[in-house]
Amino acid sequence: MSWKPKHARPWSWFGRRRPAGKIGTIAVVLAAVAGAGLWVLSHHGTAGRASAAVTIEASPSSPSAPASAPSSSATPSAAVKPVSVDIPAINVHTTLQMLGLDSTGALEAPTNLTQAGWYTGGPVPGQDGPAVIAGHVDSFRGPAVFFNLKALKQGDAVTIGLSDGRRVTFHVMTVQNYPKDAFPTTDVYGARPDPELRLITCGGAFAAGHYLDNVVVYAALAST
Amino acid sequence: MSARIRRRTTACLTALTFAFLLPPTATAADTTSTIGWVRLAHLSPDTPPVDVYLYPYGGTTAQLTLKHVAYGTLSPYESLAPGDYLVAMRAAGDAATADPVISTQVDVTAGRAYTVAGLGTASALTLKVLSDNLDTPPGKVSVRIIEASLHNPTASVDAGGETLATGLRFPDVTAYQTLDPGVGAVRVSTQAGDKTAQLDFAAGSTYTLAVLDGAGGSPQILDLSDATGTSVLPKGGVNTGFGGTAAQPTGAPTQPAGPTTQQGRGSVVPAGWGVLLIAAVVAVLFGLSRQRRK
Repeated sequence: MSWKPKHARPWSWFGRRRPAGKIGTIAVVLAAVAGAGLWVLSHHGTAGRASAAVTIEASPSSPSAPASAPSSSATPSAAVKPVSVDIPAINVHTTLQMLGLDSTGALEAPTNLTQAGWYTGGPVPGQDGPAVIAGHVDSFRGPAVFFNLKALKQGDAVTIGLSDGRRVTFHVMTVQNYPKDAFPTTDVYGARPDPELRLITCGGAFAAGHYLDNVVVYAALAST
Repeated sequence: MSARIRRRTTACLTALTFAFLLPPTATAADTTSTIGWVRLAHLSPDTPPVDVYLYPYGGTTAQLTLKHVAYGTLSPYESLAPGDYLVAMRAAGDAATADPVISTQVDVTAGRAYTVAGLGTASALTLKVLSDNLDTPPGKVSVRIIEASLHNPTASVDAGGETLATGLRFPDVTAYQTLDPGVGAVRVSTQAGDKTAQLDFAAGSTYTLAVLDGAGGSPQILDLSDATGTSVLPKGGVNTGFGGTAAQPTGAPTQPAGPTTQQGRGSVVPAGWGVLLIAAVVAVLFGLSRQRRK
């Protein structure tokens, strides 16, 4: 316990040998500031990719433990739902709400600006077919959960947490921008022979209270 | 710059523009997918089990090897980069260097799926590249039939009272046909008898049914999911933004847009430089202090 090699006591270099050095003190303070700055930077990806500093943390509700659900051991996979989305490249970490269709038959937008939503009418992420997750790009005042979606690049990882504790990772294939009045329903929701993922948010010009475009990220299951 | 050089530059630029506008090949680039899919099938009743190899075209190292694939077996779909591939079938257990029983080339396009199937009798074995359907009319299912039964070389197939194929002959493959979704009885009728299976077709998905040699000469139905879609297609896009970060919010609703938080690249990158600057200053000060001690 008492054995301490010299290199394991870095603080002694500052504390004991130069206790009152003014320059030393300034250096320590500056180093701390620089360190904090670097930490912030490193947590927002590389300089080219990191745009807005949106850090949306998962809400504290524990998605993996639905207390009410009695464990129906017969078909556990039937009730599996996606519960979280992690996209390290743009620092997105969010839980998921369930999305259906509105009265006009369009996909509902999430009610929460900091939370994305999964379209319950499509496949569960990890099953064959196109699973769809939508999130807001911004609020009235600033960025929302999918603000940086358009910055995703081919190969970026998107990991979906499932209610049974499994995690499924997809890789971005392509990011596309479409006018909403020419939304490619077949491309986005059409059948696929493999498990795929679509992430949708808004983009383009903003007019009359709406964005005119949708940004769609197409991702395929990461090869194992 | 002389007029001549300028003219020449313009010509070059024009040529370049056209070079970019005209794709090098006939196949248009898929804007939604960077991969295609291939699955491998053994549907030749009297052909013994095979080892199936898939090579990138011109390559000698197999990208996928399936050992001892027997009649009636289909592999899962393999995701592949677009390009040309070679599929070779060898007798099960043969060395990878042995001459294949049969081989064929498959040109994989992004966003398209293929079934490479050994079809026909052993003496007239063919390795066919079937193009698999991903699309189906909204709310419907698409189904095709492969007649792969030698015991029952002629078959008729109906689903929920709707005829899918009449007098289908071994080893034919039908085109996809549109059906209503749901659980229904699929019946295969042959001279040796009928076979019925309860199948569940999900809206927006595509299927392949294969008629195989079953036990005792009766037909057997193999049902395969080709592509899985979305049962209820949402209309149009999604309204996922309120304009708080829009460049020029025009006609924003009642809420004032407020001071838009400018957090784009412009502000983060200088912040990064600032941190670097501070780090440099620290390094210099540190160096100075060390020198002073000495």
